[in-house]
Amino acid sequence: MKLKSSECLDMDLKKVWKLLHERRAVSEVVSSVILTGAVIAVSFVVLFWAQYRSSAYNEQYSEAMNADIARLKERLAFEYVFYGGGNLSVYLMNCGTIDNVTVQTVYVKDAAGAPIQVSSSITLMQFNRTQIADKDLDRGEEGYFVLSSVSLVAGKSYSVRVVTGRGSTFDHTFIA
Amino acid sequence: MANSKGFSSVIGTTFMVLVMMFLCTSVFMWTLSQNTIYNEAMKEKNQIEVDRLNEKVTASNVNYTVMGNVVSVEVVLENEGPVSVEIVSLWVIDATMNKHNFSSPLNINLKPGNITYLQGSKAINVTIVGSASLHQFSSWFVTARGNVVPSEREGGIIVAQVSAGIGSVAMDFTSFKYYNVSKVGSSYVLNNYPNGGSGYTVIQPSGKDVGIAFELCLTNFDPLKKEINLSSASVFWTLFPVLPTQPRGTMWYIVNVGDNGTIAGTFTTVTIPYGATTKVFFASAQDVNTGGFVPSLSSYTGTAPVNLALVGKIGDSAYGQNVPFVSIYIKK
Repeated sequence: MKLKSSECLDMDLKKVWKLLHERRAVSEVVSSVILTGAVIAVSFVVLFWAQYRSSAYNEQYSEAMNADIARLKERLAFEYVFYGGGNLSVYLMNCGTIDNVTVQTVYVKDAAGAPIQVSSSITLMQFNRTQIADKDLDRGEEGYFVLSSVSLVAGKSYSVRVVTGRGSTFDHTFIA
Repeated sequence: MANSKGFSSVIGTTFMVLVMMFLCTSVFMWTLSQNTIYNEAMKEKNQIEVDRLNEKVTASNVNYTVMGNVVSVEVVLENEGPVSVEIVSLWVIDATMNKHNFSSPLNINLKPGNITYLQGSKAINVTIVGSASLHQFSSWFVTARGNVVPSEREGGIIVAQVSAGIGSVAMDFTSFKYYNVSKVGSSYVLNNYPNGGSGYTVIQPSGKDVGIAFELCLTNFDPLKKEINLSSASVFWTLFPVLPTQPRGTMWYIVNVGDNGTIAGTFTTVTIPYGATTKVFFASAQDVNTGGFVPSLSSYTGTAPVNLALVGKIGDSAYGQNVPFVSIYIKK
């Protein structure tokens, strides 16, 4: 029995010796592990980068879509356009379904479409002639602005185009 | 392990395919949801536009009255469309002076089919400094959906304008009736009510506590479209040419009559809105509000011209009008 146990010990030592000195198979495993790890790491980097790019695209698309939707919801009604004493008063009402409609630019054109005046500094007033504090028209709110020093011929047809801060345009034809 | 060459490539490829599928699916689904939101907004916008186009409100029978600097606009608004409409403002232009003003907010809501009479005390007042009755006016309403409703003047001829020399009321000569009055218990009633008899030939009753009553239909065609209120002093009076130099008269004062033909012992003002036709009864020998109801009989017979002396208020102003009406023949 003693002999058998010493033989076994020898065999075990040989195996360990082989394992320590014959390393060809070990290097293949290690290389495979390293390669697989590298691939997974690179894949995750690619995943995160792609997700970041797609998020940026989503955000950009979302902003464009929301702007379009907001523009869709805008609507301004022209209650009255009055010309007198060189001043053009335009009375508006926000009859859309969105608040905070600002007036960015106003174009006054003649019947042929030739521009007569363009104004980008618009002060919105309430109908009681006080300035609108938040400088915009909320839903159902009425307001007006006055363009001064406008030269129009009485009895002739003109059009006024109002461009809002969101980019919507509203046109109205009137007789001076 | 000996056959593990290319294993990492397989893992990498699988991973990349999964990543691409995940990314493409998520971006596609997200884009789809955004498009759905946009489509919803577009549908909502279209519905609003359809509602706006479906608004059909008419503003007719407009009349402008100027008192001081206040232009009073009387108009009849009718919603002929299928959607409810909110009227938010009224704009009035004095074309003679090239001045304008508005009344806002009005908060007038019209359900489909609704008619609103903005007349009398309900007229809309707009201040335009310097305005006068003879000026030319135009006006329009603005709805909450942004539509503009122009006010239209009447196309037809107003009867009262044709008969401007007569006044504000028109009389219906075909429905003129008379009744015999008798006492039932403590009340006086119109016999054979509501049929009565033609008012042109009156058979006078005899006996105690009897009298004659007349029923006529008056229509308010006031050019200013104001409401007329008749007071108890209004009287239906006749002149009998007994002698060429001595005409005699009999009077029947205005009374209130109930649905069952009973004459009221007191009098409440009879109101005739503009354009409305109202039955008016004359039966008392004296002003009901000063002496109570007393049945009236004619002391004379034969032919007599009839006049209507109407007293009361038109709008907020005092009103009085004497109209030659018909001729009647009274016999016993």
